[in-house]
Amino acid sequence: MSLVAEEIRVAYGRREAVRGVGLVALAGHVTAIVGPNGSGKSTFLGALTGSLPFRGTVILNGRDIATLKPWQQAAERAVLPQATHLAFPFTVIEVVRLGLQSGIAGARSDVPMRALARVGLAHHAGRSFQDLSGGEAQRVMLARVLAQVWEPVAEGRPRWLLLDEPVSSLDIAHQVQVMEIARSFARAGGGVVAVMHDLNLTALHADRILVLCEGRRLAFGAPSEVLTSDILSRAYGCNLGVSVPPPPGVPYVLPHAASL
Amino acid sequence: MAAVLEDLPAVPDRMARARALHWGLAGLLVLACIASLETGATGVSLSGVATRLVQGVELTRTERVVLYDIRLPRLAMGLLVGAALAVSGAVMQGLFRNPLADPGLVGVGAGAGLGAILAIVLGAALPGWLLGLTGNQLTPFAAFLGGWASTLLLYRVSTRQGRTSVATMLLAGIALGALAGAVSGILVYVADDRQLRDLTFWGLGSLAGASWIKVLAAGPLILLALGAAFALGRGLNGLALGEATAAHIGIDVQRMKSVAILAVAAATGAAVAVSGGIGFIGIVVPHLLRLASGPDHRTLLPNAALLGATLLILADVIARVAIAPAELPIGIVTAILGAPVFLWILLKRRGLVAP
Ligand SMILES: Nc1ncnc2c1ncn2[C@@H]1O[C@H](COP(=O)(O)OP(=O)(O)OP(=O)(O)O)[C@@H](O)[C@H]1O
Ligand SMILES: [Mg+2]
Repeated sequence: MSLVAEEIRVAYGRREAVRGVGLVALAGHVTAIVGPNGSGKSTFLGALTGSLPFRGTVILNGRDIATLKPWQQAAERAVLPQATHLAFPFTVIEVVRLGLQSGIAGARSDVPMRALARVGLAHHAGRSFQDLSGGEAQRVMLARVLAQVWEPVAEGRPRWLLLDEPVSSLDIAHQVQVMEIARSFARAGGGVVAVMHDLNLTALHADRILVLCEGRRLAFGAPSEVLTSDILSRAYGCNLGVSVPPPPGVPYVLPHAASL
Repeated sequence: MAAVLEDLPAVPDRMARARALHWGLAGLLVLACIASLETGATGVSLSGVATRLVQGVELTRTERVVLYDIRLPRLAMGLLVGAALAVSGAVMQGLFRNPLADPGLVGVGAGAGLGAILAIVLGAALPGWLLGLTGNQLTPFAAFLGGWASTLLLYRVSTRQGRTSVATMLLAGIALGALAGAVSGILVYVADDRQLRDLTFWGLGSLAGASWIKVLAAGPLILLALGAAFALGRGLNGLALGEATAAHIGIDVQRMKSVAILAVAAATGAAVAVSGGIGFIGIVVPHLLRLASGPDHRTLLPNAALLGATLLILADVIARVAIAPAELPIGIVTAILGAPVFLWILLKRRGLVAP
């Protein structure tokens, strides 16, 4: 089972932000999407989740998402947006429960609490979500997403986590924690697609990396194939060195300071 | 994992609190109903009537008229209008993702009012068969159309990619209100004397004109709207996270928004058509309930119906006793009580109005 995107094109007005990008993400893998700001990562993810109008096809576990109802999609994949704004003063646990609304895991009432515990915030369950710090709020949102697709595999079908910059405002310990959550979800048979900015964290945790640049696919493959000085310097338009220190096989990216 | 969870501090269950509140509010509503039936210009008292009914003694003609033709329809209309105003406020706030959205404030009430005025003034010119077809539903239905058009317009203007700009929403509401006011002003010039009396009376916002005919005219539309609104709880909760996330958790956002807009328009339109512009119920009631038991729309909406009905009926009692034997328009009472509460909300949450 997989998440397949073919020839995705998304335009904002007349400007095309994603110009014919394809991707095959496998269940059991963490697939990372990297690229510079404005390269179309969030937009591409928006097409995968069906929340932006796009041309092309997205096949989720063998079914074209254009034929699926919102609740059918919600049963198979959960989405963490890059930023959220909550309109009303829900508490943390109430926000996590919103993830259950599709009714799949609705009966399992301890799931939200366990999801919160998973991101290390169970003791904040009763607080107002609007009072949380940026990183705490991001982790609560991840808990909401986890609660929605709690079991990585259900009825023989993998479920999917589509995460837009899940670690962007987290401290280093929680970055590692969240990446490990994603990884164990994939190891248990689920699928993860995550937009990332930290290339070294990506090198450690991703099985496949898609590099986007100006709305096009620049490279796709295993970290050791994709994270090369040549590809990265072209993608980001600056001089980036890559070395491979131990553990073997995990590339390490270091910017070259131009003025030193 | 289970052991870890047991060590946690207990989380207050606001859902349970909201359900308890439900029964409390229902009790309060019953008391308000009794107070409303008891109050009035004539000396008919409920206890006297009740005793005689129990003893099987015939009621006097006055008692029958006062109770069945004046106070009961007035109570029924208060129930309907109060619930409609509070629930359409709550739905509108959920839809616009902002606790300050209120049909009265952002021009939906004005749009509905324009529809009603059009029906009152131009309705007479309609061909007879059409008039016969619509009967006394014409004014509420026209108000519904006016409310619907203005809600739709407002949403288009102030919402972009699922995010509503409060500043735009309020300003668009002012523009809509001004436009509706201007057109209404023109209509006043072409109205004849009887229509003018209707208009003036209606514009003040009052339950005084209550009759069974009006209850029957507005009732079905309001009940339909309330039923639709109560089904929106889950969807509006999801919408609190934004349109995209609401869709991601499985909500058919487009359909939900259309239903919400129709429900707001129907409830506001019907309420405005029979009782004129009664303000602040739609903004104060949901706000108090959110303070008491949280913003979950699944309990907020039914509780808003109960509290809205209660407050409007009590305001109507005040309107009747404050300067007895004369009577205040109820819109004045709700404004005097509601406007300070509204200002207090603004004061406490100044950040809300920032774009
Ligand atoms: N709503 C929008 N309207 C118009 N243009 C948009 C919109 N959203 C994004 N864009 C443009 O589309 C391009 C891709 O945006 P996108 O958000 O996908 O970038 P990204 O790769 O996620 O960047 P970042 O790393 O900053 O999150 C950008 O040039 C952006 O300016
Ligand atoms: Mg982005």
